[in-house]
Amino acid sequence: MIAFEHVGKRYGGRFEALADINFRVERGEMLFLTGHSGAGKSSLLRLIMRLERPSRGRVLVAGHDLDRLHISQVPYYRRQIGVVFQDHQLLFDRDIFANVALPLTIQGVEPIDAGRRVRAALDKVGLLHRERALPIELSTGEQQRVGIARAVVNKPALLLADEPTGNLDPQLSADIMRLFEDFNRIGTTVLVASHDLALIARLRHRVLKLRDGRLVGDGEAA
Amino acid sequence: MSERQSTGASRRGAQKPTRRSSGGGRAWLRHHRAMMSDSALRLVRRPISTLLTMLAIAIALILPAGLWLALDSARLVDAELDESATLTVYFDADVDESRAMSLATEVGEQSGVAGTRLVTAAEGLAEFQQTLGVEDALSQLDTNPLPASVVVTPYNTDPAAVQSLSQRLQTLDGVDEVRLDLAWLDRLQQLAAVGQRVALALALLFGLGVLLVVGNTVRLAVESRRQEIEVVTLIGATHAFVRRPFLYSGAWYGLGGGVLALVMLVVGGNWLASPVAALAESYGAQFALPSLGTTHSAFLLLFSTLLGWLGAWLAVGRHLADIKPR
Repeated sequence: MIAFEHVGKRYGGRFEALADINFRVERGEMLFLTGHSGAGKSSLLRLIMRLERPSRGRVLVAGHDLDRLHISQVPYYRRQIGVVFQDHQLLFDRDIFANVALPLTIQGVEPIDAGRRVRAALDKVGLLHRERALPIELSTGEQQRVGIARAVVNKPALLLADEPTGNLDPQLSADIMRLFEDFNRIGTTVLVASHDLALIARLRHRVLKLRDGRLVGDGEAA
Repeated sequence: MSERQSTGASRRGAQKPTRRSSGGGRAWLRHHRAMMSDSALRLVRRPISTLLTMLAIAIALILPAGLWLALDSARLVDAELDESATLTVYFDADVDESRAMSLATEVGEQSGVAGTRLVTAAEGLAEFQQTLGVEDALSQLDTNPLPASVVVTPYNTDPAAVQSLSQRLQTLDGVDEVRLDLAWLDRLQQLAAVGQRVALALALLFGLGVLLVVGNTVRLAVESRRQEIEVVTLIGATHAFVRRPFLYSGAWYGLGGGVLALVMLVVGGNWLASPVAALAESYGAQFALPSLGTTHSAFLLLFSTLLGWLGAWLAVGRHLADIKPR
């Protein structure tokens, strides 16, 4: 699903965010990406989302060499990836339903079909009863779940999450992680960047560990 | 369809990041409709700033449109003058009436002559007395001092053509003099040419003004929706999708400005109509201010809408490049 081959990323010619990263992720895997802040987690995710291109090496996702993907194809590529952001990035001028429907609106899905899929996604995260609420009326945990519903409404083959539990208490964090495991169980490849080591250790999945832009560990959490 | 199956289907679909063809056209139309009404709603929700923007556009449109109207009315005057662009061919004083008639026929047979009207010496005197009211003075003359003449209407009223016709008529036997006043006709045409260029230059300048007004307004709109743009870009919106609402608001601004300009032209025209008519009356003339017809009004609206759209397109293109998701 994902392959990094000798990937390096420099910013401004000097600062080396990532250096010689090599790993492969198979379809249907679930894994964590850890490391202290500044270790390169975000850079790595940005490379997968094709927000940036590597300075060296190759990034392959779902059979695409991202460096050779034409700029006009990038939007269509991104539609295959669901992304959950730390600050959930909901749009506050529209209700929960419209927020979750956004990826479907972008793809031009028929409204009836879209409505069905949005409700299914909201049901999955336990917020079906709040579809007409505005994001501001929801708690932080609920907002994050809306963000997850939006990321999966499209049934993406790959789900990325960048510190999805960063602002949540341990109980809510565990709930969110369980949601990711549920999606993984139905075949979605899930990559979660997190520094919540205690939580990651309990979940027993593969862990990629970054330190100063280098991959220093790849295996199940100890 | 179970979730597992559908995930499998989307995975297969994941092999090629190409456009979905199924229902693409309908989805595209649906989004256009949605963005058309959504962008209109956004403008209606901020009536004062919307109205101010449209007013700025309207004022920029009124100046060239008004000048165009003025030129149009000048063209009307011009057309009337063209009809009066005739030559008067004066015969020698010793040409009698029958000779004058045969000469008039000869003049009429010349190429480039559309029509002739013979004015015999007696008729010439009567006309002269009538227009100048000098009956008394002329009645004291023993003989008629005026020669017979023929008024020639040329086919081509172009100054150069009239000039050459006049030279040919001059060479005819029995012709004393050919009179035409080309200098002022020439000047009027040059003046009209200057006016047209000024109108064109103004239209270009003010058109640019409309682009800048819309561009600046749309730039602010893009800035205020920055987060939304970032999010939809992250989840796979194309540039066209992101641009669409802004293009529609640009078009709305243009259309609104065009409507305002039309209203102001009509109101202004009515306001000026009675004093202009009174002024014309005092010269013993009939003159009505020209107004934009249906066709030209429609053209103005179309033009302003297109300008608004173009302004938005330029601004969005420039500013979207600055917005990169964090």
